[in-house]
Amino acid sequence: MFLLAGLGVMIESIRLTIGTPTNPQPGFFPFLGGAILIGLSLVLTIRAWLGIGKRPEPFGEVRRPAALVAGTGVYVLILDPLGYVLATIPLGFLVLWILGVKSWQVLGSVSVGLSVVTYFLFAHLLGIELPPGLLKLLG
Amino acid sequence: MDFLGNLMMGFSVTLSPWNLFYAFTGAVIGTAIGVLPGLGTPTTIALLLPATYKMDPTSAIILLAGIFYGAMYGGSTTSILLNIPGEAASVVTCLDGYKMARQGRAGRALGISAMGSFIAGTLAVFGLSIIAPTLADFALKFGPAEYTSLVVLGLMMAVYLSEGSTLKGLLMAGLGLLLAMVGIDPVFGEPRFTFGISRLMDGINIVIVGMGVFGIAEVLINLESPEVRDIFKTSLKGLLPTLADWGRCWAAILRGSFLGFFIGVLPGGGAVISSFVAYALEKRVSKHPEDFGKGAIEAVAAPESANNAASTSSFIPLLTLGIPGNASIAMIFVALMIHGIQPGPLLLQEHPQLFWGVIASMYIGNLVLLGLNLPLVGFWVRLLRVPYHYLAAVIVIVCIIGAYSLNNAVFDIGAMLVFGVLGYFLRKGGFPMAPLALAIILGGKLELSFIQSLQVSGADLRIFVHKPISAALLFVAALLMLIPPAQWLWRLKSGNTRR
Repeated sequence: MFLLAGLGVMIESIRLTIGTPTNPQPGFFPFLGGAILIGLSLVLTIRAWLGIGKRPEPFGEVRRPAALVAGTGVYVLILDPLGYVLATIPLGFLVLWILGVKSWQVLGSVSVGLSVVTYFLFAHLLGIELPPGLLKLLG
Repeated sequence: MDFLGNLMMGFSVTLSPWNLFYAFTGAVIGTAIGVLPGLGTPTTIALLLPATYKMDPTSAIILLAGIFYGAMYGGSTTSILLNIPGEAASVVTCLDGYKMARQGRAGRALGISAMGSFIAGTLAVFGLSIIAPTLADFALKFGPAEYTSLVVLGLMMAVYLSEGSTLKGLLMAGLGLLLAMVGIDPVFGEPRFTFGISRLMDGINIVIVGMGVFGIAEVLINLESPEVRDIFKTSLKGLLPTLADWGRCWAAILRGSFLGFFIGVLPGGGAVISSFVAYALEKRVSKHPEDFGKGAIEAVAAPESANNAASTSSFIPLLTLGIPGNASIAMIFVALMIHGIQPGPLLLQEHPQLFWGVIASMYIGNLVLLGLNLPLVGFWVRLLRVPYHYLAAVIVIVCIIGAYSLNNAVFDIGAMLVFGVLGYFLRKGGFPMAPLALAIILGGKLELSFIQSLQVSGADLRIFVHKPISAALLFVAALLMLIPPAQWLWRLKSGNTRR
């Protein structure tokens, strides 16, 4: 991943013009960064291939984090049209459900409570603007 | 104004009812997050940034600083009672603290930990009040060349002292520097890596990165394997250490305090490293090293003193040089920037009330923390019974509000999610996050001061080695980068290349 990122950065840096160390242009620092990224990731790959260094932590139950990422992705899409309070209820519900809360009463009351309390706390007490969405229609 | 006069001015700022309230609140939140495993200090500071937008800057920093040093007090509670460190800086406390609890000496372990933390915290604040103004005066002599070299050294130190492999730390610093290049070029005004997205013209906001790689990533990792908390039932009586305990611990507390203070000053140093070094030092100088790992009280006192001293002294590079030494301090750096305050040598001259107010709040905060931690230890233990799923839901929602509130844009929530996923994979791969955060913050400054140095010198790169301070800083940075390959070659020679 780092190799590809580094390569992409270097190509884009050339387009930006690199210049020289004594006359650096906009692409100079990114080019240097890209080159460092490529160099270091090559060393890391070789070390991993030779079995040197600590092995990365094994993955556990990845479905739970994947579900949260997907849920938050959907949240990004529905936040503006639905508004903060209505969009946050299913998100809170999802997080609690992923973590093993199975009681419908707890899921419902905590997710509604979290959404309403955080809205009141941040929008009213701390003056942070949050999307009203459908609540705007209620005036 | 002299030292005492400045300090009095600081106390007059801190003793206002609101600032006292924020110092107290910071200490309470800090202790709580220190107690709760799965919620780190940089995450909490990042989460609370939106709450500080409308606050007075001094009050905001008093609150966030209180959280930072308060977490060090709380972190020992879970180490001693659960064998789970609430904070990374309390990992080493598990070794003997938990053994003491198993032997029915949990109260004394918690007591010496709180007393040691208080003594170390107070000594470190005193050291900070003496050293910071002198260092800030010295840093005023820095030109762009010295500043370039200082940033290079700061990054190298962060890499060298970060957890895990130096190579991975270096890679994170490289990635951070590249992320810092996104947006309009500060010198030529040309957009870089914006892919036509107007939201990226101002660059990548470190608050979004912080909330992603610390907040969201932490939740994702905890979701993968939710922990089981088994609170060990033990007697919490006898919280005050006995005379015999003091006899064994006073020197350990002092050694831990001084060691922690000096390690904390180094960019990249901080509470975690200082606690490990203090433990190792204490074992080496102890007359009973065989007791270590079996419930030695001085093995609890020394690292707990060291991590508190280090957390306080890590404010020195931030307040005097504008270099955040670790991830939590980086978030406080961001809080200062949000309020339009540039951390660095001019901070003391331009905002003396903030500078001395924050220092004075630390004296008060340490007193508050002693009062909170000893008599209320039962309450903090009960806090551990709060199920993680409630905490996770709150973290996710507050991260979302924090990201959205920056520009009132859902784009920022999406960006935070991307950094959350990136942080999750990087952390699983053993990549340290602190060098990434520091490089994003310092990347722009590095580029600007490098170009300014060339303008000053007439495009002569030798300016970096002709200026003595700059040359010395670069020499140390180069030395730090030569140590790991030298160690590797040494191990290769002796036939052991596993680490």
